[in-house]
Amino acid sequence: MATEQELRKPFLDFAGPNGAYYADTFLKIQKNALGRWHINVAAMLGSFVWAALRGSWLLFLISFVIDLIAAVNLALVYKYSKAAADNADKDFLVARYEGWSDSSLIGAIVVFVLGRLAFGWLADRLYARQYERWRVDHSVNSGLRRSRLGLAGLIVLLIVPLMIYRTTQFAPDERTCIKQNRAIAQGEEVGFKDRFDCAVIGEFPTLFWIDRPDKVTFPRDEDGNRIVQREPAREGAPPVNLNTYVSQAIDDSIAYVTVFYGFLFDGITKFLRGMLSAISSVTVGTPWPITMGVLVLMAYKMAGPRVTIFVAASLIYLALFGFWQTAMDTLSLVLAASIICVVIGLPLGIWVGKSQRGHAIMTPILDVMQTIPSFVYLLPAIAFFSIGKPPGILATMIFAMPPMVRLTALGIRQVGESTKEAALAFGANPRQLLTKVELPLALPSIMAGINQVVMMSLSMVVIAALIGAGGMGYVVTEALENTETGRGILAGIGIALLAMMIDRVVQKANKTRR
Amino acid sequence: MSDMNKEGVVVTRNVWKIFGDRAEEAMEAVRREKLSKAEVLERYEAVVGVKDVSISVGEGEVFCIMGLSGSGKSTLVRHINRLIEPTGGEILINGVNVGELNAEELRILRADKIGMVFQNMALLPHRTVRDNVAFALELRNVDAFTRAQHAERVIELVHLEGYGDRLPSELSGGMQQRVGLARAMAADPDILLMDEPFSALDPLIRRGLQDEFLELSKTMKKTTLFITHDLDEAIRMGSRIAIMKDGEIVQTGTPEEIVTKPADDYVADFVAGISKLKLVFAHTVMQPVEAYETGGRTLPPIDACPTAGPEDNLDVLVSLAVDQENPIVIVDDDKPVGVVTKDSLLHGIKGEV
Repeated sequence: MATEQELRKPFLDFAGPNGAYYADTFLKIQKNALGRWHINVAAMLGSFVWAALRGSWLLFLISFVIDLIAAVNLALVYKYSKAAADNADKDFLVARYEGWSDSSLIGAIVVFVLGRLAFGWLADRLYARQYERWRVDHSVNSGLRRSRLGLAGLIVLLIVPLMIYRTTQFAPDERTCIKQNRAIAQGEEVGFKDRFDCAVIGEFPTLFWIDRPDKVTFPRDEDGNRIVQREPAREGAPPVNLNTYVSQAIDDSIAYVTVFYGFLFDGITKFLRGMLSAISSVTVGTPWPITMGVLVLMAYKMAGPRVTIFVAASLIYLALFGFWQTAMDTLSLVLAASIICVVIGLPLGIWVGKSQRGHAIMTPILDVMQTIPSFVYLLPAIAFFSIGKPPGILATMIFAMPPMVRLTALGIRQVGESTKEAALAFGANPRQLLTKVELPLALPSIMAGINQVVMMSLSMVVIAALIGAGGMGYVVTEALENTETGRGILAGIGIALLAMMIDRVVQKANKTRR
Repeated sequence: MSDMNKEGVVVTRNVWKIFGDRAEEAMEAVRREKLSKAEVLERYEAVVGVKDVSISVGEGEVFCIMGLSGSGKSTLVRHINRLIEPTGGEILINGVNVGELNAEELRILRADKIGMVFQNMALLPHRTVRDNVAFALELRNVDAFTRAQHAERVIELVHLEGYGDRLPSELSGGMQQRVGLARAMAADPDILLMDEPFSALDPLIRRGLQDEFLELSKTMKKTTLFITHDLDEAIRMGSRIAIMKDGEIVQTGTPEEIVTKPADDYVADFVAGISKLKLVFAHTVMQPVEAYETGGRTLPPIDACPTAGPEDNLDVLVSLAVDQENPIVIVDDDKPVGVVTKDSLLHGIKGEV
């Protein structure tokens, strides 16, 4: 058993000055005996100065932000009081500014008092963590060192004045700054304060201006062939910023591709339309009693009686509220998009799962596909394929494909090395390894991928109604345009039921297979 | 076995395996400068897995490779069906250099000639026992009917009748490893590679499977490389044992040779705890009759002495010596060839021969 002194030594080594206090506190923390309201008074009063001296930059950040918020609120009090005084002739402005000023003052006091208390409460608890890290790695800051104040002072000096200045001023709007830029370009004198305000405290300044790009059109020549025609911008047209320039370039290239390679997109459109009409002839073209019967029977075969009751009830809901045809329309779209997703996504997933290069290439692409807001897919779809169901399917497909690729790859990669080794040891060739070992073992993951694809397709098909894909989504968008809340809610419930129906059946079928 | 007139079924000649991006460079440096493992690691950031191993396994022999984890025994055995490519040296199977086979020939070799059993079974969880057993045949595109018949026969061999339609997950560990064994034997290979097949099983089941395998191997006469980290198991199973340490073979020999003449302290340490009763035989501990009599003693009449043959082990001799005043006479072809006294018996049990 270590003596009391030996026990306290590491704490003393760590804390340096005032070590006895920290030894007591840390011991209490280790024994779970620290009082619930224990507050480090030095930390509470010293705030970020204390944190800097103790070398805990996390605590420094916390305390600094607390004090900064309080300071900013105080600056706001000053700003609004001044504004109220400046506008003393307009009663409503005075009332508004004084209201804001008062709430800022209260905010400043509350943040300062509660923040300091909270910081004092947090200080020893986090400092103890730092001690534990220091036990492992002695390069972690320890003791109390004045030299750290230099860095802390630098940070405070860099941030505080600008923050306070920003809060006491009304930021200039973008147009004012553009005007000001033009005035400078024409050689007018602009005060330093205005220039500084535009450059630092408003919108990020436009650093460079680009000449307006040529206007590109694609008229037909005498033989009726399309040609590219460039028209320079008119003399003296104002320059544009980077965003305008690049989006113009993207528009031009999309126009170019659709004009000169239109046959490609027409081909894809035709293919999608053909596929969709084949599916719709089953779902929409068949009389409803048959479709409904087949769907219920399928649900029963795949997922058992309980899910079947749910499916039947949902179908009756759709039928009773007059959504039968539109629901079947949506279902066709979902089926078409899901089939394409699986057909393309499965091989891609295998590639990503088996090849390091495939993984490196596809991961960023999939990330982008999944993070771009789904609405954005609609625009290029329209640009290349105009409006209607085929571009709707394409947008849906791009949106719903990533989980198929990812989950297939995951499944393939999860197959144990030893299992693969055994197959190789018995003379499997690469194809046999894939079909007899990897794919069967990845099947649960692949099925989860298909389920995801169907669900995401459904959600995107609804959005694709905006570009004329029709179906349940169309009812919703129409209700949105005419503010028919009731109709919108009914259609929304219908979509939810459709989704739950598919999900339950697919999931249950997966489970029973396993 | 040592001077066979024909070469073994499985032969490795100076096999080296060096892991790392710069394995080739390291190999050349090792050949040139005789670097040690530590030097290779330091200079080339490469790990020596197998170091200059030459073994020869005769037909029908059970050859045990024994070593602790990390000694390179599993790595070595994976060279034989080229799951791992050697950095240096060559492997011959029935005189054919495995390294020179193309992909297709290698697959045929693996499917037809070599069966492998793994420590973690590595069965396919989605297939029934029968389909697992028939896996090697399926890979050779044997039709389903023939496959099932073959599989059923092998399943009987490992005493799993009636379990053909079960999934591996429904079987106990011991039964799963029988499936692994059946799978290795289904294609009727000449060679069995057993990579710690019984290590993951509990002792009783392990014992049972060892006995069963010995039984099977007596009748089937398959050339077997048996990997284990357990010297007891090596002694039970092996007709010869190679002891590996740090990628090198430190000693090769029959169980008796290993136990009675350990090559170095490392082996001696291992052997220290092993019971010699079944491993040491009368011909090793006996002294010739003349030598016994020059010690000033006279041999009592043979009728009054217990007798044993030269191939009887110490266990038998101990039973004979109990409650017996006279020394044991070792008789070969009805002629006394040697004498075992209680002293020499005790020395034998301690391994001091």
